Amino acid sequence: MKKIVSIVMVLVMIFALAGCSSAPAPADKSADTKTEDKVAPKEESVVIYQNKVEIGEQLSAFAAKYEAQTGVKVTVKTSGGDTPYAENLKAEFQSDRQPDIFVIEGKGGYNTWKSKLTPFSGDKWMDLTDLAFKADGKTYGFPVAVEAWGMAYNADLLAKAGIDPSTLTSQDAYKAAFKKLDGMKKELGIKSVVAMAAGPDMRWVTGLHNFNGYLSAGLPYGDTSVLDKMLKGQPDMERLKEYADWVELLFKYSDKAVLLTGNYDAQVGQFATGKAVFVHQGNWIDPWLMSNGVKFPMGFAPHASVYGEHNAIFIGAPSYYVINNESKNIQAAKDFLNYMATSEEGANYMVKEAKMVPAFKNITLKPDAPLSADVMKWLAKDNGAYTWLQNDMPDGFGMGTIAPIYEAFAKGDITKQEFIDQLADKIRALK
Amino acid sequence: MGKKLKSKMFFWLFLAPALLSFIIVVVIPFFMGIYYSLTDWTAIAGIKPNWVGINNYKNMFKDIAFQYSFIRTFVFTLLSVMTINFVALMLAFLVTREIKFKNFYRAGFFVPNLIGGLVLGYVWQFIFKSVIPQIGDVLGIDFLSNLLLLADPTLTLFGLIFAFTWQYAGYIMMIYIAALLNVPQELIEASEVDGANFFQKFWNITFPMIAQAFTITSFLTLVNSFKQFDIIIALTNGGPSDIYKEQIVNSTELLAVHIYNVAFKYNNMAEGQARAIIFFLVLSVVSMAQVYYNKKREVEM
Repeated sequence: MKKIVSIVMVLVMIFALAGCSSAPAPADKSADTKTEDKVAPKEESVVIYQNKVEIGEQLSAFAAKYEAQTGVKVTVKTSGGDTPYAENLKAEFQSDRQPDIFVIEGKGGYNTWKSKLTPFSGDKWMDLTDLAFKADGKTYGFPVAVEAWGMAYNADLLAKAGIDPSTLTSQDAYKAAFKKLDGMKKELGIKSVVAMAAGPDMRWVTGLHNFNGYLSAGLPYGDTSVLDKMLKGQPDMERLKEYADWVELLFKYSDKAVLLTGNYDAQVGQFATGKAVFVHQGNWIDPWLMSNGVKFPMGFAPHASVYGEHNAIFIGAPSYYVINNESKNIQAAKDFLNYMATSEEGANYMVKEAKMVPAFKNITLKPDAPLSADVMKWLAKDNGAYTWLQNDMPDGFGMGTIAPIYEAFAKGDITKQEFIDQLADKIRALK
Repeated sequence: MGKKLKSKMFFWLFLAPALLSFIIVVVIPFFMGIYYSLTDWTAIAGIKPNWVGINNYKNMFKDIAFQYSFIRTFVFTLLSVMTINFVALMLAFLVTREIKFKNFYRAGFFVPNLIGGLVLGYVWQFIFKSVIPQIGDVLGIDFLSNLLLLADPTLTLFGLIFAFTWQYAGYIMMIYIAALLNVPQELIEASEVDGANFFQKFWNITFPMIAQAFTITSFLTLVNSFKQFDIIIALTNGGPSDIYKEQIVNSTELLAVHIYNVAFKYNNMAEGQARAIIFFLVLSVVSMAQVYYNKKREVEM
């Protein structure tokens, strides 16, 4: 009897200890949504449900101004940060508080919400941007803001070395420049040429951002041919080979410690302290640089991910406002978005208040952060952008499946040829 | 109503709340989990899962990453159970001697256990990445300054065991202290009179007398090592990469982390659930075997 009791006790203990960690519980849907207004939408009023906590207040202030001018009430509801927006949005739709405008994040969001969306047509803002979200030939998403990445450079150090950043448009140009900079390490006071990270904490840099070069560099904006082939399990071997040269070049001229075990602070810090000339990051490092008092002039040069000339950086809109097709106020919602994109107040809100890089060509206000200001320059150029396709890859493919291959290559565990073969294998496994 | 029946009724009445909540939050979800592991469940409301039979289990055993993770988890568990118990026992001996400030030491050794695993992971990450090379620079030892401990699969596993031992040994020490203080002094004194040396005393008296504590501590360390999650996430995030059967795998992605990644990173809930079931079964068998084996060695007073 005692034996049975003790076995039961052991079982109970295992249940209690293992049960809680082994079964992934579905996320709690009791939304801790910050509902600011529970009044049902009246006629000519717009409810916008958005996910950027950082801009919630600014957007509300802008909406209040809009109401003062037009008499149309715009209610801003915000969830995000620690609360899962996607889950809360589902709850919102199951209740009778459906928003008129909500946010999707690229293809994945589109596939989930397809049945609820209404396309834009004939709206003024559509002519002012190349970054709208399009699917099946229709425009569904209004780009909230722009983010971009390239090879961010320290202009002072390049000038000292006598290198003009505008010449960095091909792998050969980079090769020559890296070699020259590497030879001048002492004079420039740098530790390595590139601040690059491929370690376990930084898999988004390699598996998503760097790999995006394979998917879209050198192609016209919106060209998804390489991605489409990849999703069918077909690697483009020639392109992979060219791409591997680029990865090899970046790894060769970066600091081993930062490359293999560095985190975000180590990587960006190396650039910010002038210990590296280039950093493989995007304009989202602006707040980090500004709060650390980094003053030197900087800008973006293109990624020469494949052979040929490159005159564009990766520019994309990570999230989009979309319109609920069951909304009673579709026109009012569209008017509000048009106003945001075309009016002076809208420009002021996006650039000065919310500190975003707007996706619209008509806006001339400049962000006060250095890299974001440079993104505006690239955005204004003709064909200055390559597409963001890394978010259209299958879940976990970039950071989970292929990023460890980069790390193994960086450590020297595999050769360049093996790197290419491994990537090709993983792509073939996608079909 | 007989007195016996009445007391039985009260027994169940008082047990009911605990039993009920146990059934609701553990037993029922567990069986739901078994069901979900046999479907293509996505965790999105409104989509009915389809029955796929044992497909998820088949995929799991074919998955190189899972095999690797499985082996690594056993290695990690074995090593950390040994180191934690060894260190804890040594500490317990130390603080049950008549030394100055022994209560201070007891508290001090216990404190790391109060630090959350995530914080602790980040602290050790900082030490491994920044402090050790810095010490190497100062002392002029090139080996230390170029040591990328978190880039080498083997070293990283030892780093992980080190950090985990540092966190957990103090807690296990407390159990050993209680056990050591319960060893009857008469027996020790009697053996001293008989002329036993330190090791004879330990092996023939202390060790059997604290066997009960061993059962508990081995169980706790075994289960906790097996389920290790937060320190790994903070210290290594599953990395660095290693090569196993010509495939590139994550060297410290132990089972709990692996299951989490499959379920949430790859958004493959059903497959993650299948792996969680196997995880549960293996853990049950291993820990029951351990308890059964240790129980046999306990001596009753």
